[in-house]
Amino acid sequence: MERHAPPWWTLAPLAALLVFLIVVATAVGSVSVPLGDTAAVILKNLGFGFLGPVDQKWDAIIFLVRLPRVLGAVIIGAALAVAGTVMQGMLRNPMADPGIIGVSSGAGFGAVTAIALGLTVQGLWYLPLFASLGSLLAAGIIFLLAIRGGKMGIFTLILAGIAVSTFFGAGTSLVLSFSSRDSIAQFIFWSMGNLYNVRWESLALVAGPIGAGMLLLLWFTRDLNILLLGEEEAQSVGLNVFRTRVLLLVLVSVTTASAVCISGPIGFVGLIVPHILRLLIGPDHRLLLPAAALGGACFLVACDLVARLVLGAQEINVGIVTALLGAPYFLFLLLRSEKKETGL
Amino acid sequence: MTAPLAARNLRCTIGNKEILKGLDLTLAPGEILGILGPNGAGKSTLLRCLNGLLPSEGTVELHGRLLASLKTRQIARESTLMHQNTSVCYPFPASEVVMMGRYAHQGRFRPESAEDRRIVGEVMNFTDTAKLAAQPIDTMSGGERQRVLFAKSLAQDTPVLLLDEPSASLDISYQEQIFRFAEKLAGEGKAIVAAVHDLRLAARYCTRVILLSHGTVLAEGTPETVLTPAHLQTAYGVRVRVYRNPVTGQLDFHLTEDEIVGHRPHIHVIGGGGSASEVLRKLSGGNCTLTCGVLSPGDSDLQVAEVYGIPAVLSPPFSPIGDQAHQENRLHVAEADVTILCNLVIGEQNLRNLEAAAEARNLVVLEDDNPADRDFTGGRGLEIYRNLLGRATVLESAQLSDWLASRSP
Repeated sequence: MERHAPPWWTLAPLAALLVFLIVVATAVGSVSVPLGDTAAVILKNLGFGFLGPVDQKWDAIIFLVRLPRVLGAVIIGAALAVAGTVMQGMLRNPMADPGIIGVSSGAGFGAVTAIALGLTVQGLWYLPLFASLGSLLAAGIIFLLAIRGGKMGIFTLILAGIAVSTFFGAGTSLVLSFSSRDSIAQFIFWSMGNLYNVRWESLALVAGPIGAGMLLLLWFTRDLNILLLGEEEAQSVGLNVFRTRVLLLVLVSVTTASAVCISGPIGFVGLIVPHILRLLIGPDHRLLLPAAALGGACFLVACDLVARLVLGAQEINVGIVTALLGAPYFLFLLLRSEKKETGL
Repeated sequence: MTAPLAARNLRCTIGNKEILKGLDLTLAPGEILGILGPNGAGKSTLLRCLNGLLPSEGTVELHGRLLASLKTRQIARESTLMHQNTSVCYPFPASEVVMMGRYAHQGRFRPESAEDRRIVGEVMNFTDTAKLAAQPIDTMSGGERQRVLFAKSLAQDTPVLLLDEPSASLDISYQEQIFRFAEKLAGEGKAIVAAVHDLRLAARYCTRVILLSHGTVLAEGTPETVLTPAHLQTAYGVRVRVYRNPVTGQLDFHLTEDEIVGHRPHIHVIGGGGSASEVLRKLSGGNCTLTCGVLSPGDSDLQVAEVYGIPAVLSPPFSPIGDQAHQENRLHVAEADVTILCNLVIGEQNLRNLEAAAEARNLVVLEDDNPADRDFTGGRGLEIYRNLLGRATVLESAQLSDWLASRSP
């Protein structure tokens, strides 16, 4: 039988674009480094130093400051887009993203708690730690609420998600209303999502869980395709829908919580990247999920570049850029799907 | 050998409503078991329970192994369920959808094999979907999509196939196709259970049927024994005539209007050669008891009488009416409030029909064509006929309804 699935090499242009964006984003900044030198520094630090001599004056700025930030954008963008693709596929809903399982509101509550307790002054790792704990706590509560008698209803999951998110949001507001101006400012800054503080250390911290989460999710691409058939169809071809859903949700929450903990919540990456790619390459997760990883990485690296450059010396938070691009696109999708429904 | 599928005392409750109230069934290889019954009788619920999609009490066994003890993947290698009206709204090419049917045979470490591809190719050829292989399923017509989903179920390569109203919402050109596929598969030894809406299709293709009513088995057996007017009235709450369609030779069903209670005049219709068909059709809906005679097997009047369940007096064709038939006919004439003599052709064989008509208390003669042109007895029949006219009401067929209406209180 002939195969009609799109071949893997469809991914090649995206991969090439990502490499190009990484080099450009590392080269461009308040001090511009020639692209060739940038590539040379990156290659040298990857162990390809034998390829040629490197201008030492760029080494620190490229390798210690910019590269970790760009790579942070790569793995966080990839993680959010993969998580979003999985959520949309699993819930068979194009408007779904990991926010549904409370990871953003939980992270916010964790972050505000760390800030209010003054822990952020004591050490760099308390904020990410609390943010990820908050994420997992919120997601855990939502799972427990949604699982009933060996089944997990999608509607219950979504409704429980809304209720728990609202609850954690209120908790965040409550803590904020007793916080100092500085704490509030710190929280707002965090909550807008940024990649300022991404260093090699923070990457080392989250690369493990994010990498593992994404790899495992990539392993479930066939199952995700089958879930698109609908719950009963999936069950009758032999997929244990309940177990698969729980597993996928756990992987999505770990991946997203790890991403969010170093960057703060960055909206719309998980929503629009899967969408655009689904339009371009179709619904097959065996291709869509790796494409989302590459596409999410490209999108966030590009957005972070815009965030750094758009106002000259004054950087803006990358979350603002993704939302400014994402919200109109979301509305466009919404209006288009309504048009389809009403047949206009 | 253990049955590919067996259920004992199967019960299923959804919410507070008990949908299945203790069902037993056993399926043998090569069988097409039809599950019939009105909407809400529990047909789809039964299939879901048999496939483990809904929790149920009682036991379901697949080749002697308890369904409850099997993993989802193991169940999917034993039995497949083709759902009613599945809409796949994602643009997967047909071949990929069919390949999804192979899921239970693949492993996390063992992706698609040559064997998987061979089977997918085979079932797509079988269901005539090979030419659709590259087409996205969400752009297909209902019939094409149903065939692709059927191919997906077949790709599961299971000994048991459960089909939930496989022909519902399909064009008539496709309705029978799925059943013809099923017939072939049963011939290859698959065991098939199909929830069927259409009684004709069930009667034609099912080797055995179960009639469900309110979650219990009302009747079980061959279509002929189960699909009787009495059973159908109990299950569906309507009066249904069951007859063999003379053209197709298949069981056919005709829904009749509810009986009107009260005094029903007895009308005996004497016809033959198609002359009584229109009269019987017209009168069958009315408030009267009908009989007819004397007819011969093969006569279209007799087929009409059978469709409407009208008792008919029979006599062998191509010979004069026998003594026994004549006596029966006279008896009906004697009992009838009105006897109608149709615009029939008069021959040696049916002269006795005219003789019987002569004894009628209240005779109506329908005369559309000149009786002289209809007489093939050399004048003998015409004479009897003319004698009748003196004491009969002579009408044209078109006037009959009005005449009857003017007589009824």
